[in-house]
Amino acid sequence: MTAQNPIVFQIENLNLFYGEKQALKEISIAIYEKEVTALIGPSGCGKSTFLRVLNRMNDLIDSCHITGNVTYHDQDIYQPKTDVNGLRKSVGMVFQKPNPFPMSIQDNLIYGPKCQGIRDRFLLKQIVEQSLKQAALWDEVKDRLKESALALSGGQQQRLCIARTIAMKPEVILMDEPTSALDPVATAKIEDLISSLKQDYTIIIVTHNMQQAARISDKTAFFLMGELIEYGDANQLFSTPENKKTEEYITGRFG
Amino acid sequence: MSNKRKAQDFLLQFGTYFAAFFSFATLSLIIFFIFTNGVKLLNLDLITHDYQAKTHIAEPLAPNDTDYFEPEETLKAEVYYSPRWGLGLIDSIDLMGKTQVEIAYVHPSSPFQQLHDKGLSHELLSLKPDMMIIRIAYSDQPSSLARYGAEQMIDELALSNQIRELEFTIPGGGIRGSIITTFYLIVFSLLFALPIGIGAAIYLNEYAKNNRFTRLLRSFIELLTGVPSIIYGLMGLAFFVPFIINVSSATSGSILSGSMTMAVILLPVVIRTTEESLKVVPDEYRQGSLALGASKTQTTFRIVLPGAFPGVLSATLLAIGRIIGESAALVFAIGTAIKDDIRVTEQSTSLAVHIWAMMTDEPANIELSSTIAIIILLIVLLLNLLIKLLTRRFLRKVSAPR
Ligand SMILES: Nc1ncnc2c1ncn2[C@@H]1O[C@H](COP(=O)(O)OP(=O)(O)OP(=O)(O)O)[C@@H](O)[C@H]1O
Ligand SMILES: [Mg+2]
Repeated sequence: MTAQNPIVFQIENLNLFYGEKQALKEISIAIYEKEVTALIGPSGCGKSTFLRVLNRMNDLIDSCHITGNVTYHDQDIYQPKTDVNGLRKSVGMVFQKPNPFPMSIQDNLIYGPKCQGIRDRFLLKQIVEQSLKQAALWDEVKDRLKESALALSGGQQQRLCIARTIAMKPEVILMDEPTSALDPVATAKIEDLISSLKQDYTIIIVTHNMQQAARISDKTAFFLMGELIEYGDANQLFSTPENKKTEEYITGRFG
Repeated sequence: MSNKRKAQDFLLQFGTYFAAFFSFATLSLIIFFIFTNGVKLLNLDLITHDYQAKTHIAEPLAPNDTDYFEPEETLKAEVYYSPRWGLGLIDSIDLMGKTQVEIAYVHPSSPFQQLHDKGLSHELLSLKPDMMIIRIAYSDQPSSLARYGAEQMIDELALSNQIRELEFTIPGGGIRGSIITTFYLIVFSLLFALPIGIGAAIYLNEYAKNNRFTRLLRSFIELLTGVPSIIYGLMGLAFFVPFIINVSSATSGSILSGSMTMAVILLPVVIRTTEESLKVVPDEYRQGSLALGASKTQTTFRIVLPGAFPGVLSATLLAIGRIIGESAALVFAIGTAIKDDIRVTEQSTSLAVHIWAMMTDEPANIELSSTIAIIILLIVLLLNLLIKLLTRRFLRKVSAPR
């Protein structure tokens, strides 16, 4: 890789506490545009916590507070005057467990745009079709848009959640173990999807699956006990890790 | 040891059987009591008729000596008919359960088709089936009274040549006014209680931090559930009745002040039930919505509240049951005037208060009370079914078709 993509997120000396307990320690990392960045590490090391820093979902947890710098396109997103809803609109999130709303497929997709004040029927219809197509779900559901989203299979639900995020026309998509609740076939579909979405979106994905991280990510970050141990090119990190702990973890000799 | 255990098991098991049987038997007995007492008076007239009977005193023309009116239709066997007067009477009980002489048939040419009202109006009246005769006073013999029955009245009528005056009523005793009041009460009470109750529940569950203040608020609401309703009635009398008198044309307790009192009684139930149903809305929905850039308010009202809809419906149902059944508080807050012409700023009675009024009558009217009880049970049953249906339709719309 020669020319480096522009930086989307620049994080410096990030410390995060749940009450007294420190969950992230002195994290400094830069996330690059239109790349897939994978976060790996053992359970409880703070991957999800870090992901939630980026769209301020940690605000929902009362005991959580942070120090350090988190900038998104050179804007400090932890300023008091930050438009949090606007941030979450451009930094979308897909959760571990598929969580479509208990409404029709179509309503799931237009819920977000409607909350932004979009009322134009034609436009909404277009958004539904486009986002479903981008999420590779259109062919499967185009005849049942008015049916409940809960009637879809788990894999379809997860792709619907991705489509729902895409419908907001975000710049970044955060994914927290999006395939951990899915079977191998559904997982493969989502992986293909992620690779194709890379053209248009910056993707940050948490995964426990080393092969998955190696397959789909451009950059990989290895977390351990709240610290960022190693961060770099995925190929290089998986073939010739610099840190001993990284090597132990990716070769499964960890712990 | 094993025998002792067997005995213990048997006793406990028998205990549960007995408890179940006892509850079932008691319930059946109550329903049996209500039905056997009430079903006699149960008819459509009771529901549609006014409560107030309209009584007239009038004077018919005398028949000619030669008049003989053959009835133009075959009369039922229990009808006593006087061909000379063209009048058929029948023994009956009125809507309130009192013995009456009811008019069964009036011949088109009968003298009773043209009566001169002796009251203020001087209009021309005529007797019609379903009206009740109270008294007939003759110029040439002692009066006939309704309480001696239809047969004797016809016999005496046949002997007379001239009627001096006739007292009859267009029957009353219907509960139409109380039914209307009950529905008004349901609508207005829910109108006051649901928005406030749901709003409070949303505040407590979605916005309030879990601190000493909200904990205090919660236990306070819990406490309010246990306050006897008569105390709310006193409060209604002290606050809402004067309030409504001040802001409207009301001069006493009214449907509005009753509804407000009722709303206060309902609030704790509505808040509790709604809060419980908000609690079971999965957090994933909230997070999913927020992560899409929806605001907290949008998330609450477009995702969480619809998710709590079945719970809100059951809160509504509980509330309606409470409104229909309440009497003590309402006696103070709307008054006990049984009326036909219902205005929201005036006194009237709900069905439950109507029962209360009938039972405090001298003598207590158990039959009518039981009939009203049947009607109340039917209304509650219908509303129950309606809400079940609504819930099921709602759930079918949002959940997987399985
Ligand atoms: N809401 C919270 N309150 C307090 N502590 C929390 C909270 N959420 C997470 N933690 C703690 O922060 C640490 C990091 O948790 P986090 O969920 O980020 O781990 P993770 O790397 O995503 O783990 P996993 O792979 O199991 O999802 C853990 O020790 C966890 O116990
Ligand atoms: Mg996690």
